[in-house]
Amino acid sequence: MDYMNYKERRALMHMKSEKEEVLRFLDGQGIGFEEDVEYTMVLEEGEKVVGTGSLNRNVLKCIAVDGEHRSMGLMNRIVGHLIQEAYQRGETHLFVYTKPSNEVLFTQLGFHKIISLHDEVLLLENSGDGFSDYLKALGGCKVEGERIASIVVNCNPFTKGHRHLIEKAAVENDWLHVFVVWEGKSLFPSDVRHALVEEGTKDIRNVTVHRGKDYIISAATFPSYFLKEGQDAVEIHGKLDLCLFAAFIAPALGITRRYVGEEPYCPVTKKYNEIMKEILPAYGIEVCEIPRLSADGDAISASKVRRLIRRDDYMSLWRIVPETTYRFLLSEEGRKIAATIKESQSRH
Amino acid sequence: MDIVKTGIAGTLESSDLMVTIKESGEDGIHLELKSTVQQQFGEEIKEVALAVLRQYGVKRCKVSIEDKGALDCTVIARVRTAVSRACGNVKYNWEVGR
Amino acid sequence: MISRLRRTMLYAPGNNAGMVRDVHIYGSDSIMFDLEDSVSVHEKDSARFLVYQTLRTMDYGRKETVVRVNGLDTPYGLEDFNAIVRAKPDIIRLPKTETPEDVMEADRLITGIEEEIGMEVGTIKMFAAIESALGILNAYPIAKASKRLVGIAIGAEDYVTDLKTTRSKEGVELLMARSQIVVAARAAGISAIDTVFSDVDDEEGLIRETALVKQLGFDGKSVINPRQIDPVHKIFTPGSKEIHNALNVIEAIKEAEAKGSGVISLNGKMIDKPIVDRAKRVLDLAVVARAYNPESGEVLC
Repeated sequence: MDYMNYKERRALMHMKSEKEEVLRFLDGQGIGFEEDVEYTMVLEEGEKVVGTGSLNRNVLKCIAVDGEHRSMGLMNRIVGHLIQEAYQRGETHLFVYTKPSNEVLFTQLGFHKIISLHDEVLLLENSGDGFSDYLKALGGCKVEGERIASIVVNCNPFTKGHRHLIEKAAVENDWLHVFVVWEGKSLFPSDVRHALVEEGTKDIRNVTVHRGKDYIISAATFPSYFLKEGQDAVEIHGKLDLCLFAAFIAPALGITRRYVGEEPYCPVTKKYNEIMKEILPAYGIEVCEIPRLSADGDAISASKVRRLIRRDDYMSLWRIVPETTYRFLLSEEGRKIAATIKESQSRH
Repeated sequence: MDIVKTGIAGTLESSDLMVTIKESGEDGIHLELKSTVQQQFGEEIKEVALAVLRQYGVKRCKVSIEDKGALDCTVIARVRTAVSRACGNVKYNWEVGR
Repeated sequence: MISRLRRTMLYAPGNNAGMVRDVHIYGSDSIMFDLEDSVSVHEKDSARFLVYQTLRTMDYGRKETVVRVNGLDTPYGLEDFNAIVRAKPDIIRLPKTETPEDVMEADRLITGIEEEIGMEVGTIKMFAAIESALGILNAYPIAKASKRLVGIAIGAEDYVTDLKTTRSKEGVELLMARSQIVVAARAAGISAIDTVFSDVDDEEGLIRETALVKQLGFDGKSVINPRQIDPVHKIFTPGSKEIHNALNVIEAIKEAEAKGSGVISLNGKMIDKPIVDRAKRVLDLAVVARAYNPESGEVLC
C-alpha cells in the first residue's frame, strides 16, 4: 500500500510558479485548464506533481493523472479529495466534466453518466436519479398544446427586452416555458432573478417560469458562459448544453420551439445561438431569433442596465426595465446589489 | 431521526467506502450499493449499513455507497459519520468495550 | 523489569481506512491512531468514528495501541476522550502538553469516564507529547503529574517552530530538549520516546538520528512509515556482543551467590549495582526483541 508515498494538498494557484506547474502538467496530459476553477489540488510524489484536479462550485474538472502512475488508485484520491472539498463548501450535487474515455473510471467512482458528445466531452453527476428526478419534476409542469415554446434567460436583471421576448413568444404559442439560468455567479442572485421574471410576467396567462438548475446553461453544462471571453471551449460546451436540452428537457415538456433574442454584443452568447440553430432543428425544435427591443435607438440589454446602475442613472433605467424590476432596484436589497455592481467588473 | 441535508463521508480509496445519505420524498430506505466485492459481500455490506440506519432511527432516506473493499467496522464508521452529518451532527452515544 | 518494549510507535492517520486497518501488520512495537494533526478539521468526526469503531472491532493481541487525541483546548478534544476511552486503547496520547495541569485535567476526565462506565480506574494509560519550550521546561513536573503516565515524547516540528528555528539533519536545535525529556522520564521512571524523522527516503539520516537518540537514552522513536521500523529496531535491539557481556555479568552474579560472596567480580573488576541493572535491562530488551532466548540460552543475532 502507499504508506504516505503520495501527498495531496491544495495548489496555491495565486502563485505564478505553482499555477504554471499545474498548467504544464495538464498540458502534458492533453487537458486544458479552465480559468473558472475555484479550487485546485495536486498529488505529489516527493516534489513531483503526478496528478491534479479542480473544482468550480459543484463541477469537478481539469482532472489528470500522470501516465506512469495510473492504476495506483490515484484518480480515486483526487476525486475523493475534490468531493470532500466540495462537500465542505456546501455542494453535494456534483458533476464531472471529462473525456468520454473516462466513463468507466468515473462510473466506478460513483458517478452516473448524463450525456456524452462523441469523443469530445462527457458529463456525469454523483447521483443516480438527479437528472431523471429533474425531468420528472419538469414533466409535472407539462401543458398539452400544439405549439409549446421555450426561452432560456439569465435576466440579470429582468428588462423590458426580456419582457418583449416573452410576450411575443407567449402570443405566438399555446404555452411558453421560461427557464431562468440558475447560477450563483451572476450579480443578481438566482432567486432574485427568478422572482423578478415571475413577477414581471404574472399578467401573461400562458407562461410557466422554471428554475434552470444544474442542467440548463450551468457551470456543469455550459461552463464557458461564465468564463472570460475568447475561450475556445465554447463550441463543445454549447453543443453539450444544447443536446441535453434538445434530447431530454424539451421532450419532457413537449417543447417544439426555442426563442432567443438576437445577440449584438457578447461573442459567447452569439456563438451559442449559432450552435443552437445547427442542433435544435435536428431534434425537430424550431429556433426563433427575435430582434432586440430598442429604446432611444439603443438595444436594451441587462448589461446596459448594469451600466446605468454603475452611473446611478435611475431616470434612464426606468425606461428600460419593467415597473417590477424598477421597484426592486429601489428596494433595500436592490440597493445592496447595486453597490456590488459598482464594485465589480463582471460581464454577467 | 430526520435527514435534514445531504451527508457524505469516507473516501474512494482502497479499503474505504464513500457513503452519501440524502433526503427522500418517499417512505423507506432506498439503498444503492456498488462494491468491488459486490458478489461475495454485497448483501452483507447492505445489512451492516441498514443496521446503522436503524440504530439512528432513520426511516426515510436515499443512501448510496461506493465500496472499495472496506471492512465491516469501516462501513459502520462511515455510515455513522454520514448519518450524523445528514442529521445535523447529532451527538453520538458512545458505547463501551470491544 | 521493563514490561513494554517501545522501540517504534507507528502512526496511522485516523481518517485513512487502509492505514488504520493495516497499521498493526508491519511489526512496530506500538501503533498509534492519530486524530490530531494528520486529520483535517472537517474530518475530525469521521476519523473519530473510524478509530473508535476499529478499536472496538479489531483484535490487536498484545500490540500496544495508542490514540493521539485532540487537545482539550480544541473543539474536538472532549468528544475524542468520550469516544476513545470507551473504545479502550492501551494508551491515550495527549498532544502539546505544556503543564502538569494539562495532564491532570486529562487524567480527571478519563477517571470520570472510567467510573461512569464501570471500568477499573487507571485502566487507560497516558502518554504526553511535549512540543513547546514551556513544555520542555516543565518536563519533570509533567512526567510526575499522573500515575497513568507511562511515557513522555518530544514532538519536534512544533517545538522548533516555538523556538523560532527549523529542524536540521544534525539536530543541534533539539539537543537540549531531547536531553531534558530523557532526564525527566528517567527521574519519573517512565519511557522516553523521540520524535518522527520525516524524510522517509533518507534511511541513512534516520539511522544517524536514531543512533544519537539511543545514545542520549531514549527508549524508542515514533515512525511514520513502515520502512522506518527495521532500521530503528536494529539500533534499539542489543547486539550480540552486548548480550554476551550482559550474560557474563549475570553469570558472575550467580557465581558470587553460589560462593556466598558479597563481592561480584568479572575479569578481575568489581561489578556494582548500575552495571547489574544495565545487564538485566539489556537482557530484558533482548528477550522482548527476540534477540535472546532465555529458555535455551541462545543468542539469536
